[in-house]
Amino acid sequence: MNLETKRKAESFIALTLSGLAAAVGLFWLVYILGDVLINGIGALKPSLFLNDPVPAGVEGGGLRNAFIGQLMITGAATLIGVPIGVLGGTFLAEYGRGSRTARAISVLSDITVSVPALVVGAFVWAIVVRPLHHFSGWAGALALSIIMIPIVLRTTEDMLSLVPWTLREAAFALGAPYYKVIIQIVYRGAATGILTGILLSMARVAGEAAPLLFTSFNNNFFSGNMNGPIASLTVTIFQYAMGPYKSWHEQAWGAAFVITLFILTLTIVGRVIIWWRYKR
Amino acid sequence: MDNSRKHNYFDLLFASVTAVASFTVIIFIIGIVAVLFNESSLAIGRFGVVNFLTSTVWDPVKGIFGAATTIYGTVVTTVFALLFSIPTAIGIAIFVTEIAPNFLKTPIGVAIELLAAIPSIIYGMWGLFTLAPIMSRYVEPALKASIGKLPYLGFLFQGNPMGIDLLTASSILAIMIIPFTASIARDSFNLTPSVVKESAYAIGATRWEVVKNVVLPYSKLGIFGGAALSLGRALGETMAVAFVLGNNHRIATSLLDAASTITVSLANEFTEADTDLYLSSLYYLALILFVMSFVILAVSKYFLLKAERKYSR
Repeated sequence: MNLETKRKAESFIALTLSGLAAAVGLFWLVYILGDVLINGIGALKPSLFLNDPVPAGVEGGGLRNAFIGQLMITGAATLIGVPIGVLGGTFLAEYGRGSRTARAISVLSDITVSVPALVVGAFVWAIVVRPLHHFSGWAGALALSIIMIPIVLRTTEDMLSLVPWTLREAAFALGAPYYKVIIQIVYRGAATGILTGILLSMARVAGEAAPLLFTSFNNNFFSGNMNGPIASLTVTIFQYAMGPYKSWHEQAWGAAFVITLFILTLTIVGRVIIWWRYKR
Repeated sequence: MDNSRKHNYFDLLFASVTAVASFTVIIFIIGIVAVLFNESSLAIGRFGVVNFLTSTVWDPVKGIFGAATTIYGTVVTTVFALLFSIPTAIGIAIFVTEIAPNFLKTPIGVAIELLAAIPSIIYGMWGLFTLAPIMSRYVEPALKASIGKLPYLGFLFQGNPMGIDLLTASSILAIMIIPFTASIARDSFNLTPSVVKESAYAIGATRWEVVKNVVLPYSKLGIFGGAALSLGRALGETMAVAFVLGNNHRIATSLLDAASTITVSLANEFTEADTDLYLSSLYYLALILFVMSFVILAVSKYFLLKAERKYSR
């Protein structure tokens, strides 16, 4: 075999291998999603959404409490996390632009995004749950918002930085003070991007179970009281999947399907908006 | 000039509000470290640092705690997850940037990113109900019968193939972190200037030679950063491994044994800790985990920033 054939063969083998790698990656995606879809659809009955859990081992019942609880915790986390994140991102991209402090906060946020979520749960347990002597939905919301803030902050910073500086100068030239320029010009220009960041951060925290284990805990009964332990889909999935009952497993699959659908929809909508707004 | 003074006042107010909001990130980091340190002070005082890190005893009944078993489990699952995932991730990045026809690039890229969006609890549950049975029925007996019989590697595959073990946990982690590494590797591959690649093609290099000798060396900082990011994520992952690792505090030499990681023991034992020392030891574990992952993520960020600075010029 001459050198040229050898090189060509080597290239062919290496490229086939990387094609296989891509196929392997896609295979897992299809396998996992397919499994959640097949097992989840079967568990989707009206009772899953309309009924509360029945005592362990008894057939029937649903997860109404967990669906409502999940919405309340995620909603409250968004209400806490989004304003702080957007305002913080505004500081990094506007008032603090280019300063050493802003750079440092930006880098720290990037690191915080990936910090173990479970540790955040333990942190909130020590500062909220123990002093108050009870688990609460608010504690869960706080834990999720701590995870959310750096994500929203970084996307806001990036999106505001994409607004051309000349636009601000045009507004300054008309005599507008900086805060008006930011609120009326810069936010307007970056609104779609910021909204996308918020959607993606909601998708991220909606699937978190670890920080809720020690904060909002779980509740087998329906509760709309954010001041007490409250059920969430993710913690319920953990409890039900690890439990011994067939009916629990089935409901866990149903919950898994709903939450995956919710998160993937948010993610896809977010990506589509970005593509539509910035790539065209 | 009353109006402009009002404006100045509002501007200062808005600036302060945004500044405070951005400082919450720093406050939370400092707060987390302070709280973890404070909560674990009892255990630090009782067991010290070196002793705690090296002790393999975890006995809630006698009140003796050591971190070696959980740190071992954390490191082993993470290292094997990286071994499984990095080659795949780089292969995906090569395929997406250099081989795939244009109409396939975006769909595959999006699909890989969707893999990153699936919450870890779904991975964990899927691992428990689908992957663990497959592992215990087919994969692990096969590995035990083949590699388990070899002289030097055999110890890795001993014991009962139950499916709830280090191997299954590492596999799930690997699937989970593929997309992180892959998307960063893809982004760094894309930064390679096409002029450099074209010159390599012009002197007759094959596609693989371009990848191997031009693209990979050019993007090694980015790949390293991406791998470190995945490492940091994998260290702190809870739900994906909590289902399939069993929470068994011991040094398992075989990949077919149940074990525990820092995150798994925290998740399982935190709300059951009945003594102050027990709880304090769990916080000590959390502190160790936080410091480990923070340092690794900082290293990852350092490399990614370096890569960015080097090529964006």
